[in-house]
Amino acid sequence: MYIKAAAGISPQVSFEQILQSPASYSGNRLNCAEPDYTKLIDARMIRRMSRIIKMGVAAAKDCLQQGDVHDPGAIITGTAYGCLADTELFLSKMIENKEELLTPTAFIQSTHNTVGAQIALMLKCHNYNNTFVHRGFSFEGAMLDAITLLKENAVENILVGGVDEITDTSHELLSRFGLYKQHPGANINLYEGTSKGTIAGEGAAFFLLFNQPSGNGYAKLDGMDTLYKPSSSGEVAGFIHDFLERHNTRAEDIDLLISGENGDAHNDKGYKELKKQLFVNVATQSFKHLCGEYPTATAFALWLAANIIKTGKIPAHSKMKAPKKILIYNHYLTIHHSLYLLSAC
Amino acid sequence: MADLKRQIIAQLNLKDLKPEDIGDDQPLFVEGLGLDSIDALELIVLLQQEYKIKLASAEEGQSVFRSVRTMAQYIMEHQPKTV
Repeated sequence: MYIKAAAGISPQVSFEQILQSPASYSGNRLNCAEPDYTKLIDARMIRRMSRIIKMGVAAAKDCLQQGDVHDPGAIITGTAYGCLADTELFLSKMIENKEELLTPTAFIQSTHNTVGAQIALMLKCHNYNNTFVHRGFSFEGAMLDAITLLKENAVENILVGGVDEITDTSHELLSRFGLYKQHPGANINLYEGTSKGTIAGEGAAFFLLFNQPSGNGYAKLDGMDTLYKPSSSGEVAGFIHDFLERHNTRAEDIDLLISGENGDAHNDKGYKELKKQLFVNVATQSFKHLCGEYPTATAFALWLAANIIKTGKIPAHSKMKAPKKILIYNHYLTIHHSLYLLSAC
Repeated sequence: MADLKRQIIAQLNLKDLKPEDIGDDQPLFVEGLGLDSIDALELIVLLQQEYKIKLASAEEGQSVFRSVRTMAQYIMEHQPKTV
């Protein structure tokens, strides 16, 4: 499986900006640095789109342009929260208007599959189109479907991505659950201290996957796997060990571990234990200080890893030689654990 | 008609347009303003919300939503009389 193109919209303007100096935020919410959408999306389509739809469609368009693909064999999207802004608008209108006189646009575009559908409409693409909604495994569901289709040779290439947005309402509700820090510092200092909570994030990242190398791609995706609700850190270590063994890789073969610490002391405990247990001499790169915490943050991690392999530059290790093999390990709220193994191609 | 144009712009989120950009007799759909079937539904909601007018049938929409002038005429003819 090969990543021919990768595009992302995140709180960071670009990979180059991350290398030079990551965008600095204060507060417990990182919002995306949004591009000029009119350069990527028809103005007539933009007027109806909420923020997440614009982010998803623009990232998809950028990815397709990079890969010079106009009609992908399949469009597969993963999103946990879906189109929250349109859902909130529709529900608010229901209350305000006593369940009458509801505007159709917010209703039509409030469904989770809107981003995938809008990409297909933009491309006039009638091929396989699916959206996965599985909390912290939403992007993983999309990737697993894409990998399966490519392995079956059902299609030549697939556009696959992960998208999620924060709205004022969702941020307030998730804050009430204690998910975010009460007194956050700057995002670049996210991993310092032992306070409870993390910082909210959002983003859209899309990838063009091929089952054959193209020569000018980003990286080879050797494999991915998921683990749901492990009972102990030992189970996680075993899961990672078995995954690496299946891919004929030893822990010491990994040049870079991209890991999903989010600044919450309880959440990050597992990462620390694993590094001590399995990856003592492996260089690491965290990513949640760049994108914040959200259920499809692994899509950002994959975008980051693909860019690191393509450019040979690592934000956290400017003097290190170009990595050939990268392992991404992330868990969402200690429940949804995922692994991605990439290598240079 | 300027008020109606403002309402159409707001309802359909036509951010790049000003009321004076829309001609009184300019077709609203396809070759004119380029509106589509979802916009037609939005205009039906606009008539109900702002003018308390409910279209008798979907077919009626084709003639009512031809232009801003036809919409205005329909509103004048069907707006409930206030006592």
